[in-house]
Amino acid sequence: MKRRDFFARIGLLTGVIFTTLSHTFAQKEQTLCEVTVTAIRPERFMTGQKVRTVDSAQFAQNQFTNLSNFLQFQSPVAFKSYGAGQLATISFRGTSPSHTAVLWNGINVNSPSVGQSDFSTLPMTGFDEMSIQYGSAASCVGTDAVGGSILLRSVPKFNQKGIQAIAGVSAESSENFAAQAGIRFFKENGKWKFSGKTLFYGSNNKNNFGTEPLSDQKGRQYPVEPTTTYQKGIVQDFFAMKNNGNMWSLNIWLSDNNVTIQPGNIPLREITDSRSDKVVLAYNLGKTLFRAAYIRDVMDYGKAENQNPSHTDIDRYIFRTEHDFSWIKSCDRGTNLKLGGEFVHYEAKVDGYGGNQISENRADFYALLRYQHSQRLTGSLNMRQALVQGFNPPFTPSLGIDYRIFDGKTDRINLSGNLAYSYRVPTLNERYWVNLGNPDLKPEVGFNKEISLIWKRRTSETFHQQYGISAFHNLIDNWTYWNPDKNYRVENLQQVLAKGIEIETSTKLILEKTEINCQFQYALTHSSQQKAYGPYTEDILGKQLIYVPRHSMNNTLSLTKNACSVTLQQLFNSSRFITFDHSGRPFPPYYLLNGWISYKLKIRKNSIHTQLQGNNLTNTLYPNMKKNAMPMRSVSLNIIFIFNQKK
Amino acid sequence: MKINTLLLSMLTIGILNSCEKAENETPQPYESGVIVVNAGNFSDNNGSLSLLQRTGNTLVTDIFLKENLRSLTGSLSGYCEVNGKGVILVDNSTAGKDVVEIVDAGTFKSIATIPSTEIENPRNAIKVSETKAYISAWDATGDFSNFFKNPGYVAVLDLSTNKIIKKIAVENGAEDLQLIGNEVYVGNSGSVKNTISVIDINTDAIKQTIPVGLNSEIIGADASGKLWVFAGNELQKINTGGKTVENKIKITSSNSAKSPGAFVMSADKNTIYFTHSFYDATDGWKQKGETYAFKTSASVAEAKTPFINRLFGGGMAVDPQTGNIYAGLVPSYKQAGYVFRYKSDGSLIDSVKAEIAPGKFYFKK
Repeated sequence: MKRRDFFARIGLLTGVIFTTLSHTFAQKEQTLCEVTVTAIRPERFMTGQKVRTVDSAQFAQNQFTNLSNFLQFQSPVAFKSYGAGQLATISFRGTSPSHTAVLWNGINVNSPSVGQSDFSTLPMTGFDEMSIQYGSAASCVGTDAVGGSILLRSVPKFNQKGIQAIAGVSAESSENFAAQAGIRFFKENGKWKFSGKTLFYGSNNKNNFGTEPLSDQKGRQYPVEPTTTYQKGIVQDFFAMKNNGNMWSLNIWLSDNNVTIQPGNIPLREITDSRSDKVVLAYNLGKTLFRAAYIRDVMDYGKAENQNPSHTDIDRYIFRTEHDFSWIKSCDRGTNLKLGGEFVHYEAKVDGYGGNQISENRADFYALLRYQHSQRLTGSLNMRQALVQGFNPPFTPSLGIDYRIFDGKTDRINLSGNLAYSYRVPTLNERYWVNLGNPDLKPEVGFNKEISLIWKRRTSETFHQQYGISAFHNLIDNWTYWNPDKNYRVENLQQVLAKGIEIETSTKLILEKTEINCQFQYALTHSSQQKAYGPYTEDILGKQLIYVPRHSMNNTLSLTKNACSVTLQQLFNSSRFITFDHSGRPFPPYYLLNGWISYKLKIRKNSIHTQLQGNNLTNTLYPNMKKNAMPMRSVSLNIIFIFNQKK
Repeated sequence: MKINTLLLSMLTIGILNSCEKAENETPQPYESGVIVVNAGNFSDNNGSLSLLQRTGNTLVTDIFLKENLRSLTGSLSGYCEVNGKGVILVDNSTAGKDVVEIVDAGTFKSIATIPSTEIENPRNAIKVSETKAYISAWDATGDFSNFFKNPGYVAVLDLSTNKIIKKIAVENGAEDLQLIGNEVYVGNSGSVKNTISVIDINTDAIKQTIPVGLNSEIIGADASGKLWVFAGNELQKINTGGKTVENKIKITSSNSAKSPGAFVMSADKNTIYFTHSFYDATDGWKQKGETYAFKTSASVAEAKTPFINRLFGGGMAVDPQTGNIYAGLVPSYKQAGYVFRYKSDGSLIDSVKAEIAPGKFYFKK
């Protein structure tokens, strides 16, 4: 990218923010009276922490997107992608991929063998709602929530009427095709309300960006790796709510993801097939929750004829119960306490563990306390103790406070702070891998401090603004490292300090029939190794960790008028180092621009959503982890039919 | 390329050459010194070549990138020069993406690229004549249960046409290459094969195989012209005339857990340097050991008194011009390694920071 181009693009980014002052937020703040009918979500206890809920409009626009492509435009997280349709792992606030907890309907779904999630295998169709939680929330979430957590949920639609059928297709110029079909239903009979969803989805991606190496103006050249990706899955949700508020819910998500590198050349190809079955059954009895879950992760990796793939098969059985206590004085004042416990049993059959089946039991006990003194002042004190067979994770408390320092007619300014310990239980690979695993590992421990200032402004019903600034300082000790000096045996060698500043703005403006939304986020992140652990580690102390951009920005701008909408998404990441000591040439900074034009056609009760989507519109050439070219410009046409039952 | 274009470009080169005659006296940037082959971190595909001068600690990094405005696209497994051309072996982590880059050895400007369809898993390259290089290769590898599933081969690279003209099938896991007279000896690693192959460089065909045992590492010819090989866990002296094993010597040590590796012949061809190491189970499987020297005239090999009291994971090589030993130290595959230089008496000269995983060296004139 030429320097001039670079500034022009930054100009575009910043211009968008200051000229189109618009946006959302203004999520209605729930009162204590409203939230205490049934169980309270754990996010309620994350006082002083940044939790962003992705709005449903964004979901609607991204029905054919996977979570990594979606999230990189939504928050200043960095993704380590290995190529189109291939492994994509997250780095949240300068931490490693295993420092982000990914929860689906309250259950941590990170792979137990590697302790992280492959976000390329999680399509947006698999869930209905999402919250992005920044920073350490281990006291509420459990292991892995060191840098942040991604909370995915399936939700009932009890306000729907009758049956809705959905059918969608997508065709992308890179010879990527996707389809989905399903129904959502609602039924009511005197005492009960039923809601559910059955959705099948699948994609067949050729990721065709040519075969020749691609070069940019600076002469950087990256090969194109031929890859195909097949994905298929079923999502089944069922909710039954009794008129007294008690509710059964059953959520099933079965998914299969197949990536083949060099698909056209059988002797040379590499095949990774990963299947995940997730089942969660929950019952809310008054303020008590019972939840049982079964998760099975199977992965096979093989080459050429794929006759003898390396096999990983891990089953998890989870049982959780929690109860909410509340002492409510008024809708603005009161105390909530959530007491809970979780038990998880692991059964792992992994080739690398030496042929032995590994069984393990883990338990977690937690107490989450939230005290709201008034509309202006809220505090929370949360505690968690995890127990893992064989060793003891640390006691993990957190303390948060939120105070409205200014409360005017149109403006509110909140100052909040949070102190939180976090931990990560070492993965099964880290402990059981033959010779290289280390059963004596200690859990990683993080101590995160953060402070933020949020200014919400509502000058009218049609003009909302929100500005926020946060600073964090997260010291993570006993960070594990596959030590090359010990033949790659894993050890608790590192101590990493991740610190940074995040700025976000969000604006919503309604002008007659036009709604304009604009969101912008910027993060300055510095994450570095603090402690020397060998004669040559002097070369890496204090230096930014690999693949963590110092500056990252993203912006979503959308304009909706009647049935039409236009959305632009942009992101910028500064250069990323690929070596600990910053030797060699770092990956260059890059800018990405995606755009949609959507039209919603209504025919009686039914509708057709047509989207013309452009990805990487500036045709930016940037590398993935293997120094191959990431996807270049592509255009796709997405059509979703929604049929509503006649009443 | 059409014949007209070819003629035109040849003419242009001719004219340019004649114009540049006067400038030819200024030395070319990469004319002398030592090429350090930095393997890179395998899946990062970031191998690079650096140029280190024989004296002083000047090291020019990533010289291919500097001269060609594009980086090499894989790990590097070898480098050699033939008549003013440099041959670079590029091993990408994706199967079917390996290439051989051919550059002008003085300017490092790219001349040609041997495409991925022609080579798979190249391991080592040597010059065999003024127009020919041999490249050992594994071919496609299999999964963990049968890694060296295909027979290896020696690709014959014709540097007058910049094309691979023949592939000579050899044992699985083809690795070391050593030219002695008109013959190239080919060793192999990690496979279950226990012979080495002898190739006639005039016919580019296998002349004979010699049974030596598993994992044959070709060390080189000693002062008396005998070939030394480490195979079947023994040092073996081979008569290159009769192709017979004349002597087998076991390396002994007070620590039976140790095993030898990284053999290299001294410049005077009277000494073999090697490392002797083990993975210490009581210290987190850390690799521990030292570097030893063995006189080719000796009848016993005991790893007793270290020649250099440390171990080099990257690899060792001897500068034929000075006799100095070059050794690559790799602290991790995610940070720059160092080149340690020792005199032939084992005394340390210096250490110079290089790039990721320095391991092989090519000594220019």
